[in-house]
Amino acid sequence: MDVLTRNNVSISGVGAQAMVFVHGFGCDQRMWRLVAPAYEARYQIVLLDLVGAGSSDLTAYEPGRYDSLRAHAEDVLAVLAALNLREVIFVGHSVSAMIGVLAAVQEPARIGRLVLVAPSPRFLNDTNYFGGFEPADIEELLQAMDDNYLGWSGAITPVIMGRPDRPELTAELNASFCRTDPTIARHFARVTFLSDNRADLALVPAPTLVLQCAHDALAPLAVGIYLHHQLPVNELVVLNTSGHCPHLSAPAATIRAIDHFLQGAASIPES
Amino acid sequence: MSTPDDELLPELDLRLTQENLDDLYEHAPCGYCSCLPDGTLVKLNHTLLSWLGYERPELVARRCLQQLFTVGGRLHYETHCVPLLLVRGQVRELSYSLRRKNGTTLPVLMNAQLVRDSNEQPLVVRVTLFDITERRKYEQELLRAKAQAEEQREQLARVNEQLTSKNEQLTRINSDLDNFVYTASHDLKQPIENMAGLFQELRRTVTFHDPEAAEMVSMFTQALQQILTTIKGLTEVVQLQRQLEQVPLEVVALQPFTEEIIGSLQQVNGQNAAFTLDFAAAPTVCMARPGLHSMLYNLLSNGLKYAEPGRPPHIRVSTTAADDATILSVQDNGRGIDLSRHGRQLFQLFRRFHPEVVGSGMGLYLVNRLAHQAGGRVEVDSTVGQGTTFRVYLPRHAASQPA
Repeated sequence: MDVLTRNNVSISGVGAQAMVFVHGFGCDQRMWRLVAPAYEARYQIVLLDLVGAGSSDLTAYEPGRYDSLRAHAEDVLAVLAALNLREVIFVGHSVSAMIGVLAAVQEPARIGRLVLVAPSPRFLNDTNYFGGFEPADIEELLQAMDDNYLGWSGAITPVIMGRPDRPELTAELNASFCRTDPTIARHFARVTFLSDNRADLALVPAPTLVLQCAHDALAPLAVGIYLHHQLPVNELVVLNTSGHCPHLSAPAATIRAIDHFLQGAASIPES
Repeated sequence: MSTPDDELLPELDLRLTQENLDDLYEHAPCGYCSCLPDGTLVKLNHTLLSWLGYERPELVARRCLQQLFTVGGRLHYETHCVPLLLVRGQVRELSYSLRRKNGTTLPVLMNAQLVRDSNEQPLVVRVTLFDITERRKYEQELLRAKAQAEEQREQLARVNEQLTSKNEQLTRINSDLDNFVYTASHDLKQPIENMAGLFQELRRTVTFHDPEAAEMVSMFTQALQQILTTIKGLTEVVQLQRQLEQVPLEVVALQPFTEEIIGSLQQVNGQNAAFTLDFAAAPTVCMARPGLHSMLYNLLSNGLKYAEPGRPPHIRVSTTAADDATILSVQDNGRGIDLSRHGRQLFQLFRRFHPEVVGSGMGLYLVNRLAHQAGGRVEVDSTVGQGTTFRVYLPRHAASQPA
């Protein structure tokens, strides 16, 4: 299967440069619907589902391969290669912010700028580091996911047989928003919440925007400030919104911040 | 306006129409709350407050809905529930645990609806919570059972893998054994034949003076003959095996095939044996021709060989159709075998149960081996002095079924 089908890639918009939006844990590409259209007039827009999420090829999710975020970063780079895209603006939410970081380190030529939405390089607390969570909290999340087993899997069938060419399934697909295979979700949760990408931050060559929510239980302000100190070339913007999904809870402010970053990016000195 | 249908309905208790909406909200059999889009609690009903053990002022405007959940639930809420609410406008049947003021937890099922203002901006989230203490227990039982089933499935897969590798190992050993037998019999044959020739020569040229010599010479000849027969038998087993590996399965019509074997047997034995053939139930079997020949030949010649002295042999060969197999039966009225004594050794190589009759001890071994190779088995009934029935179960292949 080609990577564009595997990652359920959809392309829209017009422009010489491409913007690639990658969703976070617990959802799929449809979570960008309030933000991505704002860029369609200026950029080529590339949306994708991480393998294991949304309408990606769930059979491609081999737990052994996806045991680290690096595999997802390689997937993203494979999509960019298949589309022959370079110097894209990568917009990643939550875990995908770190997937973008890994991709930018691995193939600097592919990723020109990074927009990290509610990022966290490590969720677990550590010596001299406040991530916000203890291992027991993550165990509890996995338990909560088990308890929501049927909630995750309720619309599993239409996701698996997801056929954009069959309109009669569209309604069902709509209902399947953010639902996926519970076993995959559980594995992905473990990989997401136990990953530690702090060491990769200093290696990021691309100018980066850190979009921090003022009140985010998953990525507290302290994490945003940590990122600001670690990333070589970056701008930190704190959005006055609550929660972990500013692109849904405060789409206008999110778009303004990204616009400002993209306009100002030219003036950021390249080191 | 009343229709004739309405008049049939029972009269309503008028007190029901006085149902107080505030009271219904406060004491509903489920928890209600309303929150700002960021989760800040605005309004909670009495039922929910009593579940939680909080006073209203402790929560309203001070706490968020997600702060009432356990940490895992809160993570789930932020990553999964909030996007759903903001994109789809509602969530259904999300399973969370509420943390009470006293630290204990209460499992709940949550439905929530996002209400937007006239500018389509998120205004308020209406939340309904249901106590699912009992249901959660069942669900956990189910999940436990599921995990157990999965574990057993994995175990089974592991055992299966071991069996497969054991099987491959056995197949290899078997083939090594066949090779060994073939080589051994081949290498023994030459010197024994030399011995027989030399002994023949010796008898011709040497005069034995001892009166017992004649008998010893005859015993020696017999012993030589026996060794040669055994070696010949061994060679045949292996050769048949090799032949079978090269010959395809085919559908064989039993009537002419059996008649031919009987013809060749009668030529040799010339007995006044009676044969009854009845293949009406299943006229064909699917097997390699040499294998079937060897099997039937051995069973039929046994029937003749082990006839009860003084009773002309009568052998009945027939088929019956079972669910997934064709049963080929060979029934004789011979001297029978004491199965309680010999049953376990019946199909072993070189086992003989009627030393008074000449035989190699190979026949039944071959029959059994051929049946197993064809994916079937052999069953036997026998009564001493009355006769024996062998039933060979041959798995039915699509090709052998009557059209």
